[in-house]
Amino acid sequence: MIDVRNMTKKYGKLAANDNINLSVGRGELAVLLGPNGAGKSTLIKSVCGLLRFQGAITIDGHENHTVEAKRLLGYVPEFPVLYPMLTVAEHLEFIAKAYRLEAWEEKGEALLRRFELDDKKMKLGKELSKGMQQKVSVCCALLPQPKAVIMDEPLVGLDPHGIRELKAVIAKLRDSGCALLVSTHMIESVEEDWDVTYIMVKGRIARVCRRTDLAAGQSLEDVYFTITEGKGQEDKP
Amino acid sequence: MNSLVFLLVKSAKNTLLELRRKPAKLALWVLVIAGIGGIFLLSLFTRQSAAGSLDLVWLKGILFLLILLFVVLAIQKGLANGDAIFDMNDVNLLFVSPVSSRLILMYGIVRMAKTAFLAGFFILFQSNSLSTGFGVGFDAVLLVLLGFMLAVGVLQILSLLIYSLTNGKPGRKLVVRILAVAAFLPLLVYTGVQIAGTGALLPALENTLRSPLTDWTPVAGWASAGAVSLISGDTGSGFLFFGLLVLSGALLVLYIALSNPDYYEDVLVATETAFERKRVLAEGQINPEASSAKKVKVVKTGIGGLGPSAIFYKHLRESFRANRLGLWGVSSVILVLGAALFSLFQRGGDGRILILLQILMWMQIFMIGTGRGLKELYIHYLYLIPESSFQKIVWSNLEIVFKVLVESLVVFGIAGLIMEEPLWLVAEAIAVYTLFSFLLLGINYLSLRWTGADISAGLLVFIYTIAVIVIMLPGLIAATVLGSMVEGTGVLIGLGVLALWELLAAVGCFALSKGVLHNSDMPVLRTGK
Repeated sequence: MIDVRNMTKKYGKLAANDNINLSVGRGELAVLLGPNGAGKSTLIKSVCGLLRFQGAITIDGHENHTVEAKRLLGYVPEFPVLYPMLTVAEHLEFIAKAYRLEAWEEKGEALLRRFELDDKKMKLGKELSKGMQQKVSVCCALLPQPKAVIMDEPLVGLDPHGIRELKAVIAKLRDSGCALLVSTHMIESVEEDWDVTYIMVKGRIARVCRRTDLAAGQSLEDVYFTITEGKGQEDKP
Repeated sequence: MNSLVFLLVKSAKNTLLELRRKPAKLALWVLVIAGIGGIFLLSLFTRQSAAGSLDLVWLKGILFLLILLFVVLAIQKGLANGDAIFDMNDVNLLFVSPVSSRLILMYGIVRMAKTAFLAGFFILFQSNSLSTGFGVGFDAVLLVLLGFMLAVGVLQILSLLIYSLTNGKPGRKLVVRILAVAAFLPLLVYTGVQIAGTGALLPALENTLRSPLTDWTPVAGWASAGAVSLISGDTGSGFLFFGLLVLSGALLVLYIALSNPDYYEDVLVATETAFERKRVLAEGQINPEASSAKKVKVVKTGIGGLGPSAIFYKHLRESFRANRLGLWGVSSVILVLGAALFSLFQRGGDGRILILLQILMWMQIFMIGTGRGLKELYIHYLYLIPESSFQKIVWSNLEIVFKVLVESLVVFGIAGLIMEEPLWLVAEAIAVYTLFSFLLLGINYLSLRWTGADISAGLLVFIYTIAVIVIMLPGLIAATVLGSMVEGTGVLIGLGVLALWELLAAVGCFALSKGVLHNSDMPVLRTGK
């Protein structure tokens, strides 16, 4: 569903992403791990069509800048940016109108209820705490029922309830056949559900690890530290 | 070396060294300095011939009003959360260090001078206007800048003191408000009496500006009277008023340092607020409404439109919620009032509306960025909406097009009436101004498309400004040449040619920036240190 081929993103001479190859299938949760500055956010923004790059990125076979690809894509950015003068309900309404969604109201209500925002519908974007803004951002991304969801540090700023609900939503999306690419520093938060992990170091994918690759008793955290502390070897996906 | 001196010297040194690593920033500074130098040289040659048409008393009035604006802002800030004279790194590292809090306050005030200078930087570029308007040279510009910097410096300390004295004390806040009004009340009453006496606005304003009441009005009066006295050669009065500013600043600092050595708590809120503002900007929230403390009442709700048109209806909802006048906020009111005031001064001459047009076009180069359409580029939703890029851009900018069209109708309509300009001239001024705004939008997108937005915001603004000049030049030359070839209706033809060029150039810019949403990085506002 999400396919990244020989993707390179440079800022001047610095290669923030260097020849990245990555793919996430339907019903698969791919996790992007890596230390600060590894290039995870750059990769995610490039996949969402927010940055220029060299190489090819497709969503269900459609080049990522096409209208068809955008229709399939949901994105939760690292920093939730809401419209300060729109209410929570209007954010969902705006997405619904802009995406030409039909009968979206019930779905919107359910999302708001799930993230305990149903009593905040009339609150303006600027009146919300960062955690609340993150929840609205998640609701906006999920309202069009995308088939490929990309999340950049989605758990940062959420309260324990929000974290639990988002983890449940991620699991449900995966079970319903959605392709998920999630970047996070909180390894333990994805430990239960991940299918494939891409560990990035200095703009490159240093290791691709499938759940089946783990040795008995080995955790994702063990793999991560082995790679990031320089003991791992490069593995082409 | 004293730790605070080390910090100041090291920061200044590193700022210079940074320029070596960032050639674009260095080029920008070189150009700015060259520009100021060029203006200085130009003023040396043109000074003798520049016979100013306006009395210096009006310069005093303009400076007074400008500083008055800063006085109001300083009092408002003081009553809210004070002025930020420190950064978060000062709070985190200096405030907890074993360095005297009084010395740290001095350090903050020394650094504050830089802020005051930057706030008045635009004054350096007013040499030509001051020379044409008042027949003064570059030395006068420096004196105006000095007066402005002194006033801003005093106001920053005043703001800090107001916060320190009134924080959490509504009674004291009321006293400050009453004192603030009382300081300007005599002048207000005097102006009223003058208007009633003379029956005309301009003579009344002139009498007020010439009265000692204006000169002795705190901060705004002292700074404006000091600068204008020195410009007109009255050094005694000049030094007296500037001395008053320095003395009052020193007394305020002394009061804070002696009375409240534990002022850290008082500056913390302002510093944290300023830091939070920068952080939010860096995270992509460039909408100033996000950090506004203004209470907004949600009455009507809902978003109209479908597909890309939803962006336009969203803008309408946001604008009408942000202020009652909707698309036309306080800035539009100031624009109309300013243009009307300018027209009053310029009444009587032929074609004076063209001077207004020229000024507004210069302002519009930088004001166009305040539209919601260009701000959308900093938020991901615009890129992700599954619709054609072209349609998204068109609907996204419809709001600013409406705003400018109505603004220009009102501004030039009123100006035309006051200046008694012919209807065709007013109509052409409206067309030139509106189409110029349309062109500016096109150039904005073209600059983004060409640079890929992979550069700093400062450099992007620089490239955009150069692009505006380069693109407008052929139109201006054609308008001047064709206009001068025909007697009588030359201005009509010249403006018509200019409007046509703006339209063609705008269409060209939009066509060349096709696919801008796919071919440039989503811009990020880098807020620096």
